[in-house]
Amino acid sequence: MGKDGYIDTFKYFLLPFCLFVFGLFALMLAVYFSASIPIFKHEGLKIYTTNAWIASENPNKEFYGVLAAIYGSVYTSVLAVLIALPLSISFAVFVIDYAPRRLKEPLIVATDVMAGLPTIIYGIWGAFVLVPLLKKCVMDPLYAHFSFIPLFSFKPVTGYSYLSAGVLLGIMVTPFASAIIREAYRSLPFMYREAIYSLGATRYEATKILIKQIKPAIVAGLLLAFGRAIGETVAVSLVIGNTFNISPSLFAPGYTISSLIANQFGNAFIYKYMVSALFAAGLSLFFIGLAVNILGILILRRYGHGR
Amino acid sequence: MVDSLKVRLFKEKLFLIGIAVLTISTVLPLFHIMFSIAANGIPVLLKGGWDFITGTLAPPGGGLGGIGPAIVGTFILTVLASLMGLPVAVLTGIYAAEYPNSLIGRATKTLLMVMMEFPTILVGLFVMDIVVLPMGSYSAIAGALSLAIVMMPYVAVYTDEALRNIPPKYREGAFALGLTRFKVVFRVLIGLARKGIMTGILIGIAKVAGETAPLLFTAGGATRVYFAGLNRPVGAIPLLIYQLVQQPYTNYHEIAWGASLLLMLIFLAIFLPIRLSLKEVKL
Repeated sequence: MGKDGYIDTFKYFLLPFCLFVFGLFALMLAVYFSASIPIFKHEGLKIYTTNAWIASENPNKEFYGVLAAIYGSVYTSVLAVLIALPLSISFAVFVIDYAPRRLKEPLIVATDVMAGLPTIIYGIWGAFVLVPLLKKCVMDPLYAHFSFIPLFSFKPVTGYSYLSAGVLLGIMVTPFASAIIREAYRSLPFMYREAIYSLGATRYEATKILIKQIKPAIVAGLLLAFGRAIGETVAVSLVIGNTFNISPSLFAPGYTISSLIANQFGNAFIYKYMVSALFAAGLSLFFIGLAVNILGILILRRYGHGR
Repeated sequence: MVDSLKVRLFKEKLFLIGIAVLTISTVLPLFHIMFSIAANGIPVLLKGGWDFITGTLAPPGGGLGGIGPAIVGTFILTVLASLMGLPVAVLTGIYAAEYPNSLIGRATKTLLMVMMEFPTILVGLFVMDIVVLPMGSYSAIAGALSLAIVMMPYVAVYTDEALRNIPPKYREGAFALGLTRFKVVFRVLIGLARKGIMTGILIGIAKVAGETAPLLFTAGGATRVYFAGLNRPVGAIPLLIYQLVQQPYTNYHEIAWGASLLLMLIFLAIFLPIRLSLKEVKL
């Protein structure tokens, strides 16, 4: 064996496993495309631009539009990010700079447990505890007094709604966004702090300046949190209400792409086009997830906050 | 324009109180969740006793029975998923670490990170299409494959990072002894990185033991039969909870709380020791 020989054998031994992973991912994309073709042939891009769910024994009458699910996915994930934004930044700043020494580690461990906790646990807690709580303490009072505002205009009958899903997702993704922001905030050179304080800044002013330094990490953290939120399935499907609905109101029930798949797939095989419609919905989730995550990872890598 | 000192100090106080309150609100749900699960789950476990762990599901509306099939299923699925996913994951992680500057090495790392964040329901649907449809039935094999795909990137990324964190002098020393790259990696570096790799494996196992979405259309679920073969449907604790919560029967809700408590304890038993031991390592 020559000088280069053994290096190459090692590489060629490992390469198939790498390629296998790439192949798996490519196969996944191919499966989603090919399984979506029947519905595209049946109704074209209307699958993404209309809100309808007409299942019928007669294939010609079948018509599906998953706009409500796409809308619900984006709506609930945006809500989740809006909740995660103040929480995750505050948590990162507090834990690194201001928390009493003895509390730091327990707080971080607590959020790590939250990040890893099985999502079905959030689901059962959301369905049986959070939804009734939100309905009683948030939705009913707001609806009673402010129902003229479109956001609060839907009468909260069951409590299963965009708001419930958004809040639950917000709780679930905050630890995740916070871990990324925390790492970036921690890695700021100590010199910055010394310089700021030597100018006589208060802690509020110092933090404001420091936070500006890690903007890319905050954006990336929130993007990845958005990606997690939009892909979450079981917890959301237990609190969103599972209704084909496009409403601006926070209290209205809705659907998300993943909860639509989880709910409808079981009986989809009875119909000619429903399976394909659900794969097409999955395809849209595939691209949203891919785009958001790649963007987040690239930002992290570019600014050197890579994990 | 600078505010007077009084205003600035007032703002500072307000800010400190604000972030303290927001920090508490971040972790408060965890304690609320743990409390709710314990408060609702412990009575169920006490009432159900040993039968709750070993028995089969009660009929709707009557009694508790047990979640034995789901526990057996979660165990089988996790073991099978590890057998399928771990070798590929570790070897892929080694590749990404050994060739960090090559095109394939960099692309592999990016792909692994994308897969880590990928919606798991899409993995389930994919496996349904390539395994369940040809076989004509939900099966343990399909569920395990689904979980293996979910687990793979975690283990690979941890392996990659564990190898990268080894000081270069060990690698140089090993090569200086005239070892081949095979031996350098598998005899020397893997040994040094074993703690990081084990951490990745355990995190991956903790992750998939609690996954629901990838199993929805692959494992199928089982509540009366413990195990009927690799090509037959199998239960899983998270899947069972998901199905029971959606039922209208009170006794099924109770069983779901009890199962959630068990699942949470299993998760904490795997996750907490890893997390607490990492603190020493990181320093």
